[in-house]
This record gives sequence, C-alpha cells and structure tokens, in this order.
Amino acid sequence: MAAVATCGSGAGSTGSAVATASKSNVTSFQRRGPRASGTDDSGPRLVSIAGTRPSVRNGQLLVSTGLPALDQLLGGGLAIGTVLLIEEDKYNIYSPLLFKCFLAEGIVNGHTLLVASAKEDPANILQELPAPLLDDNNKKEFDEDVYNHKTPESNIKMKIAWRYQLLPKMEIGPVSSRFGHYYDASKRIPQELIEASNWHGFFLPEKISSTLKVEPWSLTPGYIKLLQFIQNIIYEEGFDGSNPQKKQRNVLRIGIQNLGSPLWGDDICCAENGSNSHSLTKFLYVLRGLLRTSLSACIITMPTHLIQNKAIIARVTNLSDIVIGLESFIGSERETNPLYKDYHGLIHIRQIPRLNNLICDESDVKDLAFKLKRKLFTIEQPFQFLNEK
Amino acid sequence: VTLSEGARAGTGRELGMLDSLLSLGGLVLLRDSVEWEGRSLLKAIVKKSALCGEQVHILGCEVSEEEFREGFDSNINNRLVYHDFFRDPLNWSKTEEALPGGPLGALRAICKRTDAGPVTIALDSLSWLLLHLPCTTLCQALHAVSHQDSCPGNSSPVGKVSVLGLLHEELHGPGPVGALSSLAQTEVTLGGTKGQASAHILCRRPRQRPTDQTQWFSILPDFSLDLQEGPSVESQPCSDPHIPPVDPTTHLTFNLHLSKKEREARDSLILPFQFSSEKQQALLRPRPGQATSHIFYEPDAYDDLDQEDPDDDLDI
Repeated sequence: MAAVATCGSGAGSTGSAVATASKSNVTSFQRRGPRASGTDDSGPRLVSIAGTRPSVRNGQLLVSTGLPALDQLLGGGLAIGTVLLIEEDKYNIYSPLLFKCFLAEGIVNGHTLLVASAKEDPANILQELPAPLLDDNNKKEFDEDVYNHKTPESNIKMKIAWRYQLLPKMEIGPVSSRFGHYYDASKRIPQELIEASNWHGFFLPEKISSTLKVEPWSLTPGYIKLLQFIQNIIYEEGFDGSNPQKKQRNVLRIGIQNLGSPLWGDDICCAENGSNSHSLTKFLYVLRGLLRTSLSACIITMPTHLIQNKAIIARVTNLSDIVIGLESFIGSERETNPLYKDYHGLIHIRQIPRLNNLICDESDVKDLAFKLKRKLFTIEQPFQFLNEK
Repeated sequence: VTLSEGARAGTGRELGMLDSLLSLGGLVLLRDSVEWEGRSLLKAIVKKSALCGEQVHILGCEVSEEEFREGFDSNINNRLVYHDFFRDPLNWSKTEEALPGGPLGALRAICKRTDAGPVTIALDSLSWLLLHLPCTTLCQALHAVSHQDSCPGNSSPVGKVSVLGLLHEELHGPGPVGALSSLAQTEVTLGGTKGQASAHILCRRPRQRPTDQTQWFSILPDFSLDLQEGPSVESQPCSDPHIPPVDPTTHLTFNLHLSKKEREARDSLILPFQFSSEKQQALLRPRPGQATSHIFYEPDAYDDLDQEDPDDDLDI
C-alpha cells in the first residue's frame, strides 16, 4: 500500500514538475487534487505523454531514440531536455540512418517534429524515413533473427579464454510495444503517417537569401536564424508550458543535420583558427538552454572528422549531453580484418550525462560494433574472436 | 590474341568510370598535384561532353582563354561558352559584358538560365576560387548549383547540372580539401608511376557505400582520353631466384601440429578453474587418502590455546 503510494507520487512528481513550469510556483511539491474537468476518482493521475516513460534509475522522462539497442545502451532512452550528438562516420552513410530512426519514432508516437538541415530539404528527409514494424508478427520475426544469430555464439564454450565468459553480455531485453519500435531500413514510411504528423522544417538556403555581414563575436547568421526558429516553435506550440490551455502535452523532437559543416556558414571545418570559431559552441549553449526549459529532445549529427581544431571537438562534447561516435570500416584497413568481418563499423559511446545523479548510467560493455543486417541496425559486442584457438 | 587486342578488350569492360564521370551529376572534384597535372584531363572531359551535345560553360580564372582553347578544334571551340575571369578578375575595366557578382554570380546566373538539357560547368580552377573567396561561401554556392535538379517542386524541368572543379591539393590545407571532398559526388585523384598517369576515382552515391576504382590513362594530343591497362608486370622487382624461400617450420625441436589422438586428449581435458559436476562430486566425497596425512604442531609460549578467553584472566 505504501509502496504503491510512493510509486504513484514519484511518477506524479514528474508530472507536477511539468505543471509547475507552467504555474511558476516557488516549490515543486504540490498536492495533486482531482482535476476539475477530469473523472471523479480522486487518486493521483500520471501525466503520460505517448511514447515517453520515466526512467527506472533516476526518474527522468525518457523518449526512445528509435533504436531499441541504443536505448538499452543509454540507460533506457534519451532524457527529455537533452541533446544527443552523433559524430558522423567518414562517408556519412550510417549517421543519417540513426537520424531518420529518431524522426520516424517521433512520427509513430505522434510527437511534433522539427527538422533542420542545410543540405537537404526537410520534406525530402521525411519522405525517406524508414517504415516502422508495427505488426507483432514482423517484430517476432526480427527478434528471432537477432536471437538466432546470438545463440550459436553462446553455445560455443570458451575453453582457453574462459574469463571472457564472465564478462557481462549485452542483451536486447524485451521491448514494450509503446516505447521503442523496430524500423525496416529498406522500406519507406507510409505517406499517410507523414501527413498525419505535425512537423516543421528549416532549410537554410531558403531562410538566408543574402550574405549578411557577420561580426566576429556573434553567431553565424544561419545559427541565429535556426535558434529563433526553434524558439518560435517552442513558444507558439506551448512546449515550454506557456499555453496552459493546451489539451494534451506533447514532446517536440528536434533533428539538426550536419551541424558545423560549411553549408551552415561555419568555417570550423575549413580552417583551424577561423574568424568565428566560437559560433558553434555558443549555438549549443543556447540550444541546451532552450531544451532544458521545454518538453523537447534533440538529435544533432556533426561531421567531427572534418573539424580542424581538436579543442572545438572537446568543447562540443562537453556542451552536449550524450555523444556517440560512429566509425565505419569502409576504406580503412579494418575492413579486411577477419575480426570485424560481420560488422560494418564500431560505435563509441563517448559521453553519457549525469542528470540529477552523482554517477552516470554507463553500461558495462565497452567495445561495441554495429551492423546494418538486411533491414535491421543492430549493435553487438564482437567477442567471438576470443574463442579462436 | 595480341597484347593490344587484349588490352582493348579489357578497357572495353572498364569503360565505366572515367568516361562516365559526369553521368552522376553533382560536383566532380579533380585533384591534381605538381607531378601529375590535371588540366589536360579537365580539357579531355570537357571535350567529351561538348561532343555529346551538352551545354558546356567554362569559368576560366587561372589561365588565359587562348591557352585554354589551345588544342581544341573549331567545332568544340564553338560549343564552349567561356567566362573569362583571368584577364580582369576584379572587373576594373567596367565593361558591360562582365557578369556581376564575380565568379559565383556567374555560376548562379548559368543555373538560372538553364533550359532542359544537361549542363556541364568546368571550374578552372577551384583553387583560385578558394584563395579569393571564403570557403564557406564557395561550398554553399557549389552545393546550391549541383543540387538544383534534385528539388521535386520545380516548375520548369531543369536538366542535370554537373560541376567539374580542378583543385590543386598541394595549395590547401586539409580543412578546405576535406570540406570540398565531403560535398563532392565524385572525386578523382591523379597519380601514377613511371610516366603513366592513373586516376583514382571515388564515387559517393547518396546512402550507398562509396565505390572506388583506379584507372590508368593517357591524354592524346587532341585531348581525347585513352584508357589503358596498368603498368606491365615485368617492371616489378622480383625476388632473387638463387635464394629459395625459407620455410621456418622445418627442423623444429618441438611439435607444431597435433595428431588426432593428441587433439582428442586435449579436448577432453578439464581445465583447472572449470567447475564441473565431476569436480563437485570429488570434493563432496570423503577422500580416502585423508588418514595418511598428519599435521604435527608444537605450540610455543605465545600461542593462545583458549579461544574464548583472550586475556587469560578468567579463573575457571
């Protein structure tokens, strides 16, 4: 009885924190009375937004990144109000897939999308989103596929390198059907899902028509326009609680593609000591401020392999919450390495945030590889090579 | 089959990449160096696309118009539309036919005037443009030009635009070269050995793995492209025939291979740290040999025989 009550109030406190932002009270503790327009039962009700769930570890509200394997690695999902930064691979083949899975997850859950790009028109990006596997039969087939691949490995007992058997294995645990979906990268999302969704696009060449004079201490004009656009959307649609009459709270998913590339007008990829080398870091700082005060989550892909000044990469990592690096094997000597023959690249988890916590939520497995197997993007631990005699 | 016929058959199969560089559209980057110059390859590709009937525009910044047109015969010269930025790059003579906005303005103007039909724009050279314009502006302009045909909402059918840029990679640091090559759909790096030129072609199709190929070629005096096989194999240095290769596995004092019996014995061996059910039973069973071992111990003065009375002050 007491446990149920604390559980209810714990989940309710996330909801009341959201309600507090709108009423701007001094304290975050509030008695939750029965809603005036709601039902007549007097118990505390959970504020549940579709596609979100509270984290079991620290109570933060999480959204799925679109890849259940990645959610598992990040401790359940992406916390609302945080930034997920993906360091692109060299030929930019796999990072757009993660980006599109994030957006597709937003469409499937009914979240509002904001897509910003300087390279492609956001409408084109949305047309190319992968199709979700909503059918349970399909999901079972892919689960079996993944597990069949794993069982032959676990059956081979490690004789000589027996200590490695004791290492924690990465499991793809059972995924609830409301949080985190599988996507088929070879099919396109159905048109009616896109039309039913609410999305905003920011395509830089359309917004900036003339070349403006840039002062060295200010942000690049492209970044200024993008920040203003994001701020407008957050304010107008009430994601920061400014419109309390909104009937249903929703999450805003922001996706920014290729941030920092020369197409955004930023020269950190072209020169080591450019004229506005602080533009990107200021942008990230202001963006994080906007995100922390609203119900939104952001994914950014950045071509860090092109950035000339390594100090900027370090600053960018510190200013983001979760940083994941993708390293594909194409063109490198690892492609012919027999250890990695089943995989397409390595995935590096460079940073995980400490949100209202003293320790961060790392998983125990450190070396991970990914592969795009037929339609599914899986992340696994490549430890089979240890068994070869 | 003579060697030349075999070579021609080989080049017939590999005709794909170097000849059809412009078929993908987008930005084609031609990276040359001091040793292997790229302007002749640029002119060869320009000649080929002019003969195919495409509209060809040249933005000449690095060499004069006479030098660029040298070597082309008159029907090709008539098809080339030359924009001269060499003679008067900053437009000091203020003539009317100069296009406003410099080279980038000329680029945008070419794209606005395009009617249906493929257009090839040759930039001679991108290095000159990189040295005179900010890199970000150049990248944005190249991207806008080369992706014009990918917008589905265009009212007028715009033909495919290919931009061919000559880049002297030794003039620039890794930053601008990396930025431009990430924008390019195709990247051709010139190299070679012993007087034969080769082109390493890297094709980045969107959302697919990049494919690369090395093609040996030579440019004939009339700027047509001659594809060739690689350098002959005999020119490679071979090992000295008098010294036979040494096999290090002979005359060893230990055994490198296991016989079948030995392998079975090894597979059935239980490792010392593995806990199996036999080991568990062996530990639980009382050992028969226990009675044969004794421990002899003589307590000395400092030993505490009474565990319950550490201070030895209980008098019981």
